[in-house]
Amino acid sequence: MSETRTLLTDTADRLFTDLAAHPDAPFAEVWPSIAEAGFESLLLGEDEGGFGGDWGDLFAVARLAGSHALAAPVGEAAVAAWALTRAGLTPAEGLATIAPAVDGCVENGRFTGSLKATPWGGAAQTVVATHAGSLLRLQTTDCRIESGHSPVGEPRDTLTFEGAVAEAAPSDIDLLACGAFLRTAQIAGALDAALAASIAYANERVQFGKPISKFQTVQQTLAIFAIEAAAVNSAGQAAARAADAGVADFEFAAAKLRANIAAGQGAALAHQVHGAIGFTQEHPLHRLTRRLAGWRSEFGSDRFWAQRLGRRVAGLGPDGLWPELARRSDAA
Amino acid sequence: MQTFDAHPFDPPDGVPTLRREVRDFIAREAPKSDAASRANCWAVCDADFSKAMGKAGYIGMTWPVEYGGHARHPLHRYVVLEELLAAGAPVGMHWIADRQSGPLLLRYGTEEQRRTHLPSIAAGETYVCIGMSEPGAGSDLASIRTQGVRDGDGWRISGQKVWTTNAHNAQLMIALVRTVEGSQRNEGLTQFLIPLDTPGVTVRPIIDLVGGHDFNEVFLDDVHVPDSARVGPEGNGWKQVTAELSLERSGPERYLSSYAALVELIRFAGPDPEPVLAVLIGRLTAELWTLRQMSQSTAAKLAAGEDPALEAAIVKDLGNSFEQELPRAIQAALDGAEDLSAATDLTRVLALLLQVSPSFSLRGGTREILRGIIARGLGLR
Repeated sequence: MSETRTLLTDTADRLFTDLAAHPDAPFAEVWPSIAEAGFESLLLGEDEGGFGGDWGDLFAVARLAGSHALAAPVGEAAVAAWALTRAGLTPAEGLATIAPAVDGCVENGRFTGSLKATPWGGAAQTVVATHAGSLLRLQTTDCRIESGHSPVGEPRDTLTFEGAVAEAAPSDIDLLACGAFLRTAQIAGALDAALAASIAYANERVQFGKPISKFQTVQQTLAIFAIEAAAVNSAGQAAARAADAGVADFEFAAAKLRANIAAGQGAALAHQVHGAIGFTQEHPLHRLTRRLAGWRSEFGSDRFWAQRLGRRVAGLGPDGLWPELARRSDAA
Repeated sequence: MQTFDAHPFDPPDGVPTLRREVRDFIAREAPKSDAASRANCWAVCDADFSKAMGKAGYIGMTWPVEYGGHARHPLHRYVVLEELLAAGAPVGMHWIADRQSGPLLLRYGTEEQRRTHLPSIAAGETYVCIGMSEPGAGSDLASIRTQGVRDGDGWRISGQKVWTTNAHNAQLMIALVRTVEGSQRNEGLTQFLIPLDTPGVTVRPIIDLVGGHDFNEVFLDDVHVPDSARVGPEGNGWKQVTAELSLERSGPERYLSSYAALVELIRFAGPDPEPVLAVLIGRLTAELWTLRQMSQSTAAKLAAGEDPALEAAIVKDLGNSFEQELPRAIQAALDGAEDLSAATDLTRVLALLLQVSPSFSLRGGTREILRGIIARGLGLR
């Protein structure tokens, strides 16, 4: 790991650990400390006032956010700032987030339509969206906000605009895929954290006169869990590497799909090992597992990415998949 | 904790050229075959193809030139292997010698053993089998009973090995033998290089459930070998066999054994697949892509001189599960018109894999043993 990444992850780990100690703190008190640390400008160049980080750095930070069950759009804000800069649009004012889905149209520089399930959409001032080959920059002062929530209670708001001023620029940035990458990183972190908690619990919980970790059946369950967590961590890091080398649409799709599969299985195994205590409000496990439940559907479900990837692979033909896999990794 | 810290797979330059060379070689030298014979191809033996590979410099790629090797980078070797496996080339004859026996002799063998055997292994002419399992020693390898007793300048070896892949084709066996009578478990074990034409060696076939002949029983009846047949120090056998395991467990053969069925599924589904098949192709691709990253990362760690035993166990278990699930998932997604009696490439490769894939999580360490290793790595044992 590079020195700058170590510095970055040390900072993130410290800050997210502090914030995790107060999981019920209001967002208005949480966000300023994250903004102050500069994570929003993670992907911006140093000449743009940013950290000069790459997708590997973003993976590392979003992964830590996931492992601490952080209730804040750290990754969304970083991607929003990056997308606005790349597309040459006005930088964000205050908190910026990204919309996973756009339903509407732009006419004469004005947007009419809705952005569904936008993470912290109501708290953000600026929302960035991908629409018909363009990137849109919208202000939430111009919209109606309908509150929605993920299973764990994070805001997933629907924002409805009517003839709102929209800055737009042609762009090939796919914010759905970028969001999928963020959720992959968070799932990777949350699975590792839930695994660590499950191992610790299995080592301390005594039944039949010994820690339950000494039973082979529990050991095998935790081994399966570790394999799933390893798969997502590997997929996410490989996707980041591909993004740092060039276009990573294939890798973002494959990594989110693999993460979705592991999220479901990992959460179930964590609860199985924890027994009834993990099912209580008091025990912190649910902060991870309820997020995992939501993240699987966000920025592309299993079916969505499987279908998109499957059509693409089918289009390559029977002898086309392997050369494409090889070509993509050789270019990285 | 981070369960898998990816190690970048950064081979030296020239990978695209190398891939082109290997693909041209396969197109030229591999026998034209149907999909079913491209499945599980590292168990398919073809001496002519192995000799052609030897001539082309694709066996013993990383070994020193003085022993017939080609002094190539280990990750270039990895690229060659994955190309061969993805194409379904019949690499079974020399696979074990190239993967395990050669590296073992390089690390622990005498100069004489290296000079005698490595050049002909690299030429694709000498094949080796691994004498580890015994009737009473499968997953519990440390309970082996085959006994070696000092006899003048040499040894007399008696006992029985079983599930010995390719013993009917190989000229040599590297056998794990108990050389200290009454020694416990993994103590007192020594490896020997035994030519299979030595008097007292009997090889008998074990036919598998589809009628195939990969396995054998090997009987050792008072087999006399000189001390120069010993590989490594006396009593060092356990350490030597466990050192081979990371090499054995994380290679591309641990997730590509069923790749031929995915190729046939893509052919069957066509360029504009119905949704259920598109979803299946997408999911299998995501899993394949992920496993390739994991296997490559582990190969890169090995190449950097680390021993990623835990990662290797993870790759093998996940890879074997994928190889086994792939034909089942495809079978489940086909409609009733395509039952397994249909004489198509897809159904033939499915039928074969559905029958032989149970062995994938047995060979090279069972699923239960691997998960035990992973559990130990997690601090549970």
